[in-house]
Amino acid sequence: MARLESTQDLRQLAGMLASDKDGTRPRIVICAGTACQASGVNEVIRIAKKHIIQKDLHGKVGLRITGCHGFCEMGPFVLTEPQGAFYVHLVPLDVERIIDALVEGAVIEELLYTDPVSGKKCRTVDEIPFFTHQQRTLLGQNQKMDPIRIHDCIAQGGYGSLADVLDRGDARWVLDQVKASGLRGRGGAGFPTGVKWEMLAAEPSRRGKFLVCNADEGDPGAYMDEGILEGNPHSILEGMLIGAVATGATEGVIYVRAEYPLAIKHLTIALRQAREFGLLGKDILGTRMDFDISLVRGAGAFVCGEETALIRSIEGKTGEPRQRPPYPVKSGIEGKPTAINNVETWANVPVIFRMGAKAYSRIGTPGNSGTKIFSLVGKIKNTGLVEVPMGVPLGTIIHEIGGGPSGTARIKAVQTGGPSGGCIPADMFDLPIDYDSLASAGSIMGSGGMIVMDENTCMVDVARYYMAFLKDESCGKCFSCRKGTQRMYEILDDVTRGEATLEDLDLLEELAVVVKDASMCGLGQTASNPVLSTLRYFRDEYVEHIVDKRCRAFVCKNLTGAPCQAACPVGTEAWRYVAHIRRGEYEQAYRVIREANPFPSVCARVCNHPCEARCRAGGADGEAVAIRALKRFVTDRVDPSVYVPERIDDEKLRGRRVAVVGAGPAGLTAAHMLSLRGVKVTVFEAEHVPGGMLRTAIPPYRLPHDVVTKEIEALIDGNITLLCDRKLGRDVTLDGLLAEGFDAVYLAMGAHKSRHLGIAGEDAAGVIPGIVFLEAFNVKGEKLATGNVGVVGGGNSAVDAARTALRQPGVKNVTILYRRTREEMPAFADEVEAAIEEGVKLVTLVTPIEVLSEKGRLTGLVCITNTLGEPDSSGRRRPVPVDGSEHVVALDTLIVAISESAELDRLVEGWSGIEAEGTERIRADRKTQATGRPGVFAGGDVVTGPNTVIDAIAAGKKAAVAIARHLRGEELETPATRKLPEVFVPPIEDASADPAQAKRVTMPAILPDTRRRSFTEVELSLSEEEAIREASRCLRCDLEFTRPAAEKASGLPPVEEQTA
Amino acid sequence: MIKLTINGLPVEVEPGTTLLEAATHLGFPIPTLCHMEGLSPYGACRLCLVEIGTAPRSRLVSSCTYPAEEGMVVRTASSRVVRARRMMIELLLATCPQSKVIQDLASAHGVNQQRFKQEHEDCILCGLCVRMCNEQMMAGAIGFSGRGERRKLGTPFDIKSEVCRQCGGCMYVCPACQLRCTYTEPDKAVCGGCQNLQPPCLEKEKFDDMMCYMSPCVACEIEKR
Repeated sequence: MARLESTQDLRQLAGMLASDKDGTRPRIVICAGTACQASGVNEVIRIAKKHIIQKDLHGKVGLRITGCHGFCEMGPFVLTEPQGAFYVHLVPLDVERIIDALVEGAVIEELLYTDPVSGKKCRTVDEIPFFTHQQRTLLGQNQKMDPIRIHDCIAQGGYGSLADVLDRGDARWVLDQVKASGLRGRGGAGFPTGVKWEMLAAEPSRRGKFLVCNADEGDPGAYMDEGILEGNPHSILEGMLIGAVATGATEGVIYVRAEYPLAIKHLTIALRQAREFGLLGKDILGTRMDFDISLVRGAGAFVCGEETALIRSIEGKTGEPRQRPPYPVKSGIEGKPTAINNVETWANVPVIFRMGAKAYSRIGTPGNSGTKIFSLVGKIKNTGLVEVPMGVPLGTIIHEIGGGPSGTARIKAVQTGGPSGGCIPADMFDLPIDYDSLASAGSIMGSGGMIVMDENTCMVDVARYYMAFLKDESCGKCFSCRKGTQRMYEILDDVTRGEATLEDLDLLEELAVVVKDASMCGLGQTASNPVLSTLRYFRDEYVEHIVDKRCRAFVCKNLTGAPCQAACPVGTEAWRYVAHIRRGEYEQAYRVIREANPFPSVCARVCNHPCEARCRAGGADGEAVAIRALKRFVTDRVDPSVYVPERIDDEKLRGRRVAVVGAGPAGLTAAHMLSLRGVKVTVFEAEHVPGGMLRTAIPPYRLPHDVVTKEIEALIDGNITLLCDRKLGRDVTLDGLLAEGFDAVYLAMGAHKSRHLGIAGEDAAGVIPGIVFLEAFNVKGEKLATGNVGVVGGGNSAVDAARTALRQPGVKNVTILYRRTREEMPAFADEVEAAIEEGVKLVTLVTPIEVLSEKGRLTGLVCITNTLGEPDSSGRRRPVPVDGSEHVVALDTLIVAISESAELDRLVEGWSGIEAEGTERIRADRKTQATGRPGVFAGGDVVTGPNTVIDAIAAGKKAAVAIARHLRGEELETPATRKLPEVFVPPIEDASADPAQAKRVTMPAILPDTRRRSFTEVELSLSEEEAIREASRCLRCDLEFTRPAAEKASGLPPVEEQTA
Repeated sequence: MIKLTINGLPVEVEPGTTLLEAATHLGFPIPTLCHMEGLSPYGACRLCLVEIGTAPRSRLVSSCTYPAEEGMVVRTASSRVVRARRMMIELLLATCPQSKVIQDLASAHGVNQQRFKQEHEDCILCGLCVRMCNEQMMAGAIGFSGRGERRKLGTPFDIKSEVCRQCGGCMYVCPACQLRCTYTEPDKAVCGGCQNLQPPCLEKEKFDDMMCYMSPCVACEIEKR
């Protein structure tokens, strides 16, 4: 190609190329950005080329290999033109079918992108929410050109803005346009670009001036500049050329990090082509303007992104910032005036002249004009590069474009601006994204990194991670930054190990403020942001690490130990009994279970197994070990008498008297634990039988009554007197108990009152509160349901009521009505699944608004349909009623099981000193369960509201400890300690089995057809072979803690620590 | 001449004067560790911080590197300056407690404890020796390498320097005081200068209890250990 001698030549060429482009010719566009290359796109390209050649499709199908389109999560992907079909997650051979289909104008349905919200296939790229919510001014260009072909670029209008600017030949006009556009530096600080250029233009040009493109993008998790460098390098060159016209600069430098080989390759090609075309070098487009650009590779120091350090690095010196003033614009490279702008800023310059400064300034918000690219990564569905107008709320990016959390855990925060940025909590997601709002929230725009974090992310660990990065990447010149980051890291590390104190936390904050104040350059001045912003929004997590020795995200290893154990409210060493099962030592396994939990057989059936939710085997794509099934296996097989609880004779407790109100799991656990220490306990139970909810609410097909009875009988010993049919407020009073000589009272009555719907007509006959319905059946055998049964609610008691109703005679069908979707139902997923298998109908997204009745007898329920709106404070999407969607559901029985509360209203007399929340809950200390009245403790559902069995047992255990301390006259609260695995159970190494590959065992159950009319237990026990196989899937997280100690004791050499 | 206000007092200085020079000229004491007349300003120790501008847009800068500007408002001992300075001293104490210079600083500023994990480093990377070697001795034998935590002082590639004339200038200016005489072992050599300037206390057998001219120096204490 001959050199272009004038702007006219360039326009002619552009016109020629544009008309030459046959828009109707089918073409496949393959993204070959670094992210897609990592997902294997190169093989796709190879196959595509081969296929086109082999099938001789040259004239029929075009192939364009481009830079990043942004939807990196879906790579490798292919876009077809002119169809606009978007095929995702391709394997190499798919591309052959795509080409063949394209030739025939067809679409391959199954490879198209599926919208995860609606579940529908998107036929064209314009239907994909990820793209439709963006404004892709810069990124949108990438898919239209092959970055190594300047012709593609010119055909798309590349260098057109330069031609316009050169034709005018008026530097002042260019400066005014850039100023009028309101463009602010995209590198993070947001300095107005026009102002910077004006300052450079005002400098004397005798010695020459520099323009620099800062492409030293080093933030962890950020790659928006890379997307432009690789996908459209000419836009940067054009921007710098326009800058040269405006400022009179003679030399340009692109400082790009050496870790971007593809960007360097594309830039090198672009520079060569631009020179060949006469767009760079001497006498550009015949206008006598000289400007050339050289490429400097950074050696990987993060601090070289700071402008004064970058200048020194370009000069060949150590990349170390220096004091400003003098600013680079006065004295930069080699002491010559220098203006430094970020990649994205340069790429925006041609856009301003293409669309006009006015139009550009209208994008975004006043003072924050234009679009901004963010790299959206972390725990989000749609990872990738997104471009939005400034001022868009953070929530739009996270939920609409990003598609919400990648897993089931809720999104907790977003980290913006890389290591110098801060974390913004989820409740601030309506924050508009612009320079100033982010700064006021304690973060920064930075260059646009956006890392999404969910509840499985520990904020202290995040701060620690960034501080580790910063302490390595600080240049080390300022003592405040070098030692400050090091010391902050030290304290953060202590916090994650549970070894810090609250004083350390104050010191951390004090230090962070000073480091921010005292350091010279931007790195040091922002280095505290990760600490300060997490302290600002997530201080409770820090305190939890320090005081409770707990990491709620189960990330901090030295606080978590084995996650199954840490997740268990009663601290069951699940790893330990699973290890014993693997070894065939079932009695030992039973003893481990029973040691922590006085209700092993009950929990083996109805526990919500938080241990499994945290099991590391369940991380990534794996499945958690079926810990509850293994517990069931052990409790079915081992005789409970193998465990003999240890009795402690304590003379201060011997013979002391404690009253426990409520013989549910919480009360009985407390009674049992106290009786072991010689305390005489009297348990008062309101019902005819002990067991609380275990007996009255949980249906026998899940938990047979005899299992409960046996387990309770085993707990009652000579120190415990059980008195049934004694109700607090009716038969006994609190004051009475204390007057009678009880040294302490434990209130554990549970929550037995169903909440009302609060709608018209609810008092009709046939409307039954959930607990009343379950109790009537479980205790008295009354079968209240008949005909068409509706159950309102989404929790476990709703599902229990539905399945119980299904088993009652005279019931035609059972429908659960829930206001959100199945995903949001709080009931256990297994239970919902089982209910549906048995024939319960699940209708979601409906809210009852009125009960219809005839002569006082229920006939139906008016419901309104909902759609899901914005997430509410619980992170679940809020149900929003659809106007005019009211409809009637004909019902003979309506069971209301939306929630339960305690029945305090009848008890309040004589409760002096005890605080309550309304008539629903008693207020008690979270740790000691002490109420406001000395000697009176409360726990379980009566305090927490409806909750799990295991939490009630945990409450009982805690209460026993606190009551014992009260009886001994000691301080109630004890400092928390770390609970790490201690006992070494030698693992059985089995080379043939790969635990990661093995499938989780399914709990055997009787068939839905047989069980739907029977109350026999649904779940069966595992076979021995199944149990051992399942146990061998355990990853043995405990060994990291127990093995070294065991080996130290046995004198064997310690295992070498694995470096991550 | 440039007019500015320091702690409320107006002052006129030549262009190019630093804030440190201007403040010292008025008699306001500003502590420094990495500054020395005759060597170029560096701004590493962050002790000479002063507050410039007016709230809420005021900020802290190192006075040794910041040039005086027309109409500037400077405060050399505002509460913000003092807080930062004391924290710097606390960090210095935590790093290099054995230095007499640092101990004196701490005492002068009423810092009598440090709350971090105690370290015993023998260098605070103030860079005085590097500048001394480059700018006054014209040797350029020593410099910094690495960054962040791994930043350290030494000869290129940590081998004995051929350009070092063993003048001892580096040791003379060192405020951490350790550097002066602990590097007698060749493998730890910064520049080998100490071989030229062997402190007499290390050769007690020869010189007996001769008064040490390197005061303050604790080399002999270390050697005894």
